[in-house]
Amino acid sequence: MRKLKDRLFVAYVVLATVLTILPLFHILYCVFANGVPVLLKGGLEFLTGTLPAPGEGLGGIGPAIVGTFVLTVLATLMGLPIAVLTGVFSAEYPNSVIGKATRTLLLIMMEFPTILVGLFVMDILVIPMGSYSALAGALALAIVMMPYVAVYTEQSLREIPSRYREGAFALGLRRRTVVFRIMMNLARKGILTGILIGIAKVAGETAPLLFTAGGSYTVYFQGIDRPIGAIPLLIYQLVQQPYENYHEIAWGASLVLMLIFLAIFLPIRLSVKEVKL
Amino acid sequence: MKAIETVDLKVWYGSKQVIKGVSLSIPDKTVFAIMGPSGCGKSTLLRAFNRLLELNEIARVEGDVKLYGKSVYEMDEVEVRRRIGMVFQMPNPFPHMSIYDNIALGVRYNKLVKSKKELDELVEWALRKSALWEEVKDRLKEKAAHLSGGQMQRLCIARALALKPDVLLMDEPTANLDPVSAGKIEELIYELKKELTIVIVTHSPAQAARVSDYVAFLYMGKLVEVGKTEEIFENPKEELTEKYLTGRMG
Repeated sequence: MRKLKDRLFVAYVVLATVLTILPLFHILYCVFANGVPVLLKGGLEFLTGTLPAPGEGLGGIGPAIVGTFVLTVLATLMGLPIAVLTGVFSAEYPNSVIGKATRTLLLIMMEFPTILVGLFVMDILVIPMGSYSALAGALALAIVMMPYVAVYTEQSLREIPSRYREGAFALGLRRRTVVFRIMMNLARKGILTGILIGIAKVAGETAPLLFTAGGSYTVYFQGIDRPIGAIPLLIYQLVQQPYENYHEIAWGASLVLMLIFLAIFLPIRLSVKEVKL
Repeated sequence: MKAIETVDLKVWYGSKQVIKGVSLSIPDKTVFAIMGPSGCGKSTLLRAFNRLLELNEIARVEGDVKLYGKSVYEMDEVEVRRRIGMVFQMPNPFPHMSIYDNIALGVRYNKLVKSKKELDELVEWALRKSALWEEVKDRLKEKAAHLSGGQMQRLCIARALALKPDVLLMDEPTANLDPVSAGKIEELIYELKKELTIVIVTHSPAQAARVSDYVAFLYMGKLVEVGKTEEIFENPKEELTEKYLTGRMG
């Protein structure tokens, strides 16, 4: 009887696991099944061309690819330095009032509805500037990215056993040397993972861009104060249209987005060496 | 000459007092052992000497620690830690750095050498002093993580020695080592006391008897007894000390 119960339990766990990861494979399958034919049909032009008129073939999603790239880089430039330093601060002063408050706020920010971030940036940047812009989109993405990077930085620093910290101080090193030369190096895998998760996350975000980036698919990047496109935003906008060719483009764009996502994530995740403690 | 002298030293963690007024003096160029059961405050006492306690936000220190007559709390903490080296219970060389860089790191940041050649010589000197040179001279560029536990601990000693400290604090340096490696460290302590003062914390009376010239017995944050090692082991004045030495207390 006990053996039977045990087997039932194992079977249940296996089933639950399969059910959990099944949607992932289904998504992968759908995107590939619908996207690959579009990409084959559109060829290289699909990656470099611009959006056609309704009913006039596939054209290309070049401006959206460049837009995603520009937005992600800008957001990283804005968010990363602040976020890493925030993580370092709350790891170094965990019991200070600011340290405690920061940690709590970061966790809230991580789960904060991203559409509200978009609204906020619209209010402070888009309305005063009178136009959607790459700058506004990037700022919204930076705000979404920062808590991930900060929380990962903080946690990976705190996971380093205290003996290394003590050892470094005992050698007569100043705090900044201990933190930036020793601790960050020991925690590099965790910190880089956080940065990548942040980047991958914002590269795929739609909601923060709705009221900020504006979208621009028939012309390439025109400046950071001008509207800009992004792949997820393009998909969102195309799917709402009643045109057959736009739906096809959306599938193709989905595949491209997924490939970009995998391309950022897999190699670095595999290649960053963890420091053996 | 007193290398280190504490004056009514008291330490609190939050509201809990862990060192309750310790006054002791540690003579120059000797091995001074601090022994006592787990949790008696040995490690805390050691960390008050080189001001490492300041890393702990809730620690509070009263009283004074003097290094050759001068209060360490009036010196720059970096200078204090340069002059009072420390070796820890768990060997802690930086695993992401090479053997060479582990030693060079503190030297470079404290600006103790002027040239690469001087640095090379100092690294070799420190490794010879810690009896590690022969084992690692051909692989100085290898990561420190590849060494055995005993070698790592000797690397930590080398790293501390390279700063040319006056005092070396050792916090149960053999607690995580096999007996052979532990024996090597003890031999090293014997060699090193010719040049500097060593304060070693141990929970093993046997080790204290083997390596030290003077011994202090610490119990529940209080100094029970202190004196020449032979005298304390042969003729302890306090009943608590005797109980501890004969193994009737932990």
